[in-house]
Amino acid sequence: MSTPEEVQEQLAALRANYQIRLNSDLADLHQTALELSESLYDHVRLKTLRDGLHRISGSAGSFGCASIGLRCRDYEQRTQMWLDSSATPEAARMLELCQGLSVLKNELEQMIKGGGEASAADVDVPALDSPVRISLVGNESSEHRGIADALEGFGYAVTLDSNPKALAQGGARPDVVIADYQSLDPELSALFEPKGAPALILLDRTDSFDRRLEAVRHHAKGYFVYPIDIPRLEARIRRLASRHTQDPYRVVIVDDDAELSEHFRLVLEGAGIDSRVVNEPSHIVAALRDHLPDILIVDINMPGCSGPELAQVLRLDDDWLKVPIIYLSAETDQDRRALAMRQAGDDFLAKPIGDSELVNAIKVRAQRSRQLSEALERDGLTGLMKHAALKEQLEIEVSRAQRMDAPASVVMIDIDRFKSINDTYGHATGDYVIRLLANLLRRRLRKLDTVGRYGGEEFVAILPNCSLKDAERIFNEIRLNFSQLDCVAGKESFRVSFSAGIAPIGPSSHGAQVLEAADQAMYEAKTGGRNQVRVAVSAD
Amino acid sequence: MTELKSILHVEDDPSIQAVARVALETVGGFEVTGCDDGQHALETLAGFKPDLILMDVMMPNLDGPSTLKRLQADPELSRIPVVFMTAKIQPAEVEEYRAIGAADVLEKPFDPMTLADRLKRIWEDVHVDP
Repeated sequence: MSTPEEVQEQLAALRANYQIRLNSDLADLHQTALELSESLYDHVRLKTLRDGLHRISGSAGSFGCASIGLRCRDYEQRTQMWLDSSATPEAARMLELCQGLSVLKNELEQMIKGGGEASAADVDVPALDSPVRISLVGNESSEHRGIADALEGFGYAVTLDSNPKALAQGGARPDVVIADYQSLDPELSALFEPKGAPALILLDRTDSFDRRLEAVRHHAKGYFVYPIDIPRLEARIRRLASRHTQDPYRVVIVDDDAELSEHFRLVLEGAGIDSRVVNEPSHIVAALRDHLPDILIVDINMPGCSGPELAQVLRLDDDWLKVPIIYLSAETDQDRRALAMRQAGDDFLAKPIGDSELVNAIKVRAQRSRQLSEALERDGLTGLMKHAALKEQLEIEVSRAQRMDAPASVVMIDIDRFKSINDTYGHATGDYVIRLLANLLRRRLRKLDTVGRYGGEEFVAILPNCSLKDAERIFNEIRLNFSQLDCVAGKESFRVSFSAGIAPIGPSSHGAQVLEAADQAMYEAKTGGRNQVRVAVSAD
Repeated sequence: MTELKSILHVEDDPSIQAVARVALETVGGFEVTGCDDGQHALETLAGFKPDLILMDVMMPNLDGPSTLKRLQADPELSRIPVVFMTAKIQPAEVEEYRAIGAADVLEKPFDPMTLADRLKRIWEDVHVDP
């Protein structure tokens, strides 16, 4: 279920951790070898040395340190020979090994430093896997050109096609087609009927229920009236394009009956629900953490720990509060069912349950659960994380960055002269500008970055594994991009800019300190003339 | 032939366990249960029957070959193929492990991007060769 980029990210994180440990292991082994060079035959110490070298030779290659691993294998074999012959190694040979180990340690340290820079190069790769292709059926009029340019600003690949019929004839088929209502004819609209066809969005000059109904009958998936509200159009495109790539629902099934639970798993997997079985209740927390389910299905009667007990264990922890727990049980006694629900748990499904009944019951609840958790954490206007969720995420990222000893940056962004936009064009236009920037940030940052709406016209971005220098470069690009977008208010168009402040997550900084430093840098950007990015010296 | 789905990974080094989890779960799409030595593996196997066991040779408490012997004594567990992983891969050793019943022997360090495919191939071989 993970993209290759995500796999690479995970591996890079493991590699960073491993290299830190390897560095201290090499130091320990160096010390052991040094002591061995000064002593008589010491079986225990030699074995410690051999085991340590063995461990490195068997692991370093999996973490991008193959050459260190190979040389440790060589040293391991030498140590093994000394062990086999029970002879005191010559001091000179042992010192050679010592030197070899310090060379390895130096190489590793260079690699760790270099790795920091190399990983920053990843930042260049935009968040998109491959851009969504849009065909805009229209002409070179400024109106159509403007829409095409604005969508390109969001990172889409837009072509302006004058002949819509060409869409039917092979070539790179677009994911989304945007066309004027007038250009529609039955032949064209038939292209959008089949499953898997591009999604059609219609643009119209007048708005009426009849026209909208007509649009639906032409298989349209979106309907917008001129002047086009670009962020809304973009939000619709994003939703249409992600329709097929939405994460499958995730379910964890806890049941001591291995065969039955396996059957449930197969049924749910068959319906496209990513399911995992836990037969041993005590393994539940790891499964939840790994799988992050939308729904937890729990058997009531299990030896050792009953379903309601398990549910109460999970409810001790705020982390899992939002995961609905559904009991699945053959329990028919109403009182005992009621008791189970009172203790913890959200719903009850009776065994035996038919396959399609199970799938439907789980799908409906999983969808609801996902919508709710998004609604709770997301800002209604922008779809970005809200203040509280953002602060939580910041704490997570701060401790992650400190644990991994990796650079990370926090950016505070504030739209310039926002009050005057509201005063001049009205609050609806103000909201529009906020959505415009939210969408741009979402498109331009990586999947592992966090963007949230911190307050009115204030945003915060958290960029793990990103140095101050890279963050500054990226935000200068975004700033330039944003300042060139044409915002539309009625018949007028205008341009807006933002100011940003960036602070690093230091080895001992707290989330609040980093935010404060980013805020201070942002303030300097404002007083320095707005429409600029400033970097804080240090958050610590 | 049934598909290879679940793997018990027995390994005492936490870094290797973590990278194998990415290699097998994220890259390979398998369900992975991890144990840190042979003793722990035997306890886990009492309640959970994976399709395949991937096991380090050198481990504290109960090493790979001794664990394999215990598995072979249990009719229900003896049918689960065991693949050894070792950093010391001498041809003689490979033969030795095969002789005591290992389905195959993989070399450490492994490439996390290809480990899952290698296990899939071993799984296919085990099932082609009755």
